[in-house]
Amino acid sequence: MGYLNNATITVDAILTKKGRELLARGRDEFRITQFALADDEIDYDLYNPDHPLGTAFYGAAIENMPIVEAIPDETQMMKYKLVTLPKGTARIPVVRVAQTSIELEANESTVIRPNTVNFSGGNRRFGYTAILSDSDVCDIVATRRAGASAASIPQFIGDSEAAQSITVSGMEFEITGKEHLNADRQATLLIIGNETGGRTTVNITVRKVEVTTVGMAR
Amino acid sequence: MAVYNRRVSARPGRFASSRPQSSPGGQGQIEQLARQMAEQILRERDAAAQRARLGRIFTQFDSTNDVLPNNVETVTRGLFSGNTGSLINMFFNSNLTATQQTYFQDIYSTGDPASNAMASEELSITYGNFGGSGSSDLTGNLNNDTPTRAIYKQYAQILLAPNDKKFTFNGVDSDNIYVLNINRSRMREKLDPGNLELTLARLSGSSYTNATGVLLNAQGNDATLDQHTGSNVLLDGSGKYIQLIDDSGENAGAVADAGQIFNIVSGTLDGGATIHNPTSPIHYGLMFPQHGVIVLNGDVLDTNAGFGTSTGSGAGYQGENATKLFKSLSGSDALTPATVNGGIQARSSEQVKSTYYFVRVKNAEYNYSNNPSYTTGSLGELIFSTFINDPQVYITTVGMYNERRELLAVAKLSQPLLKNFTREALVKVKLDF
Repeated sequence: MGYLNNATITVDAILTKKGRELLARGRDEFRITQFALADDEIDYDLYNPDHPLGTAFYGAAIENMPIVEAIPDETQMMKYKLVTLPKGTARIPVVRVAQTSIELEANESTVIRPNTVNFSGGNRRFGYTAILSDSDVCDIVATRRAGASAASIPQFIGDSEAAQSITVSGMEFEITGKEHLNADRQATLLIIGNETGGRTTVNITVRKVEVTTVGMAR
Repeated sequence: MAVYNRRVSARPGRFASSRPQSSPGGQGQIEQLARQMAEQILRERDAAAQRARLGRIFTQFDSTNDVLPNNVETVTRGLFSGNTGSLINMFFNSNLTATQQTYFQDIYSTGDPASNAMASEELSITYGNFGGSGSSDLTGNLNNDTPTRAIYKQYAQILLAPNDKKFTFNGVDSDNIYVLNINRSRMREKLDPGNLELTLARLSGSSYTNATGVLLNAQGNDATLDQHTGSNVLLDGSGKYIQLIDDSGENAGAVADAGQIFNIVSGTLDGGATIHNPTSPIHYGLMFPQHGVIVLNGDVLDTNAGFGTSTGSGAGYQGENATKLFKSLSGSDALTPATVNGGIQARSSEQVKSTYYFVRVKNAEYNYSNNPSYTTGSLGELIFSTFINDPQVYITTVGMYNERRELLAVAKLSQPLLKNFTREALVKVKLDF
């Protein structure tokens, strides 16, 4: 007769940069009220339902994998969250936008309206978080707010150290190309569903302004 | 939608009684009906809660059952760098200026920081004298501005009650003190009482003499009280050493303005803390755990450990008495048996406040993933058709959020944890402050 495994898994948590910031600010903002689960480093291609040794080994490659340590950058953690869905679900809720890429001129604007397919009413209450990778390329504002409180607002430095990301939350977003670009510039817009967790990326290109120099006759 | 606050009343005719409270049969029917309604309410509430969870990635903690705040745990570690409990090899810091060295000396492990970048600072040692003996007045003998006097008064001010000017060891005041002051980052919150042992090699206590045996001072002039200083300090050659421990094993300690105070007495930690002659121990000093400071009585060290404290004074005189404590501590390990460490053995103590969060994942929750490798194509179709009725996901990370859904803390599991409709998970997340 073997022993049942009744061990509770105990793990140590680390504070994120945002957690440290709120703890230091001391305005009762550091109050953990909810949790989410993620499987960021799992590649489900490793799951093999045709494993020659049978069902117990379908997930062996994943289960034996060591996990890397947590890092304090909240923008790099919890990317792929687990979601609760009814049994028999054939499709995961997907966040979609009409445009997969956007081209803008200086000061030109366009509106992005994310929606969620495969799940009725998905993200209708908390809306979406939109993260623009480079504030030097364009501006973004939420033109329609979500029904409930704002979502996570991570800020991180982009590829260029001067370029800060912009994060807004809402149901609809307006993007406006920046002026004074001396070259065509690219940025990405990451849109995350605040309830279902799905995400999609839109590539943005803002064209430089062509300035014609008019010579003066003597 | 169910109406939960429906009133249950005994209606005449339906329950065949106009006075149901007096009819046992009617009362039973009412209770049965009430029970059925209550069960129905619970079922509907559970179903509503289950529906509300669908399409969700966040779960609220129940603050009563899931969160265990402010658990205090005392964590002890070896006192020295790398959490080692023994400091045997010791080095001075030659980066200190000559003036600094008249006040204190730093003790490093690994090497002298002037020549070893990996050297770690462990503690400082110093000598204090109530009257300023053992050092010269740095301002030219105008005001007894001697380093040893300043040191004595500094520690008296920090550790003694207001207006108590002298350290008292076992009821006897002493003008001579040797101090070990542990680096703050090493002691964390305090020294761990009951786990301190100092091993001191007996010194020669020798003095300068000329060829005919006349005592000389450090400058080569005739004198009567000038003991060896600096590199001339020697062990006495007898191989004798003394071991000192705090008496917290026998004594609850005093609590005064400086916090807890324990006596430093003759004894050993080898084979468990044992005080030598516990009914009448030899008192060598005082331990102030919260300050990370050990004050040793110079008079007793002179008598029992051959320190020969230099108590001269006057222009240019430097007793360098801290060197004697260094020599005695660092030279002791060579004298002890191979199984017994010399030098200093000690632990730090720290109270860590933790909050535990119990992450309870029910069987019907979190069985699907937004991981891109979990789907195929652009429509979110599951990668394996078997996942439609028997989805399998692996939990690797727990994220802790506030009401604004800002990620405040994150915990990683050591291995992926399988989750499906037949499994529930309980993960205890510990967050230290």
